Amino acid sequence: MSEFLMLGWNVAIPEVDIGDDIFVVQDDNGTLRRVQVKTSTSTARKDSFSGQFSVSVKNLRNISNILVHYIFLVRHNDEWSRPVIIRQDYLLNHFENNKVGSEAKGNITFYFSFTKGKAECSGQDFTGYIKDYTDFPKIEH
Amino acid sequence: MDAIKINVNKQMDGYSFSISPSIRDFIRKVFPNAHPANNIFVGYDTKSNFEIYIGKLESHIYPALLGVENKTDLNQFDEIQFVDTQTGHVLHKVTPRDEKV
Repeated sequence: MSEFLMLGWNVAIPEVDIGDDIFVVQDDNGTLRRVQVKTSTSTARKDSFSGQFSVSVKNLRNISNILVHYIFLVRHNDEWSRPVIIRQDYLLNHFENNKVGSEAKGNITFYFSFTKGKAECSGQDFTGYIKDYTDFPKIEH
Repeated sequence: MDAIKINVNKQMDGYSFSISPSIRDFIRKVFPNAHPANNIFVGYDTKSNFEIYIGKLESHIYPALLGVENKTDLNQFDEIQFVDTQTGHVLHKVTPRDEKV
């Protein structure tokens, strides 16, 4: 949340939990971004670490006029990894067309591995999504 | 050209029509002047009014969503399918070259 505030966006937590974790708002014009934060503990390897995340298939396929941004964070060595930020339609596209993630019982499990600043999921390079704040441009007040 | 899949999501107040990023990339590659949109939302009341006075909404949604206006360009698509994102069912099919302008 503090990252969004630093970028000049305002943040709010929904009163009732129906899937979204944070509403990120551009105050002066009401532009709204829906954000869902996913966290994981890490599994350490020799030169890398990985995290496992579960995302509801129903939620991922529920493409509304305001898309959800998924933020994936791994707790590793008492620090949070750099966030992997993926908009819903891109994540769904990876799942449906690039065989990213594995589906079981209505959920998709994504395994992210982080090696020397690079991120990978099911063999696909996700490095471009690390700290990808494209849809949250800095707002000057 | 393979069938283009347009996702249809029924929401509380209307329909959201969207295409996947890979289809957007494909459209931009084939038609460099095209401006495909992420999604288009149409309220239920707007849809029903539109269909009473003008005609089937889907025939007007796909050119706007794909960002392709030229009829000759649109005719290159074999089939456009409107698919319910939750069930996977094909709700509607359009073949642009068979449509009357």
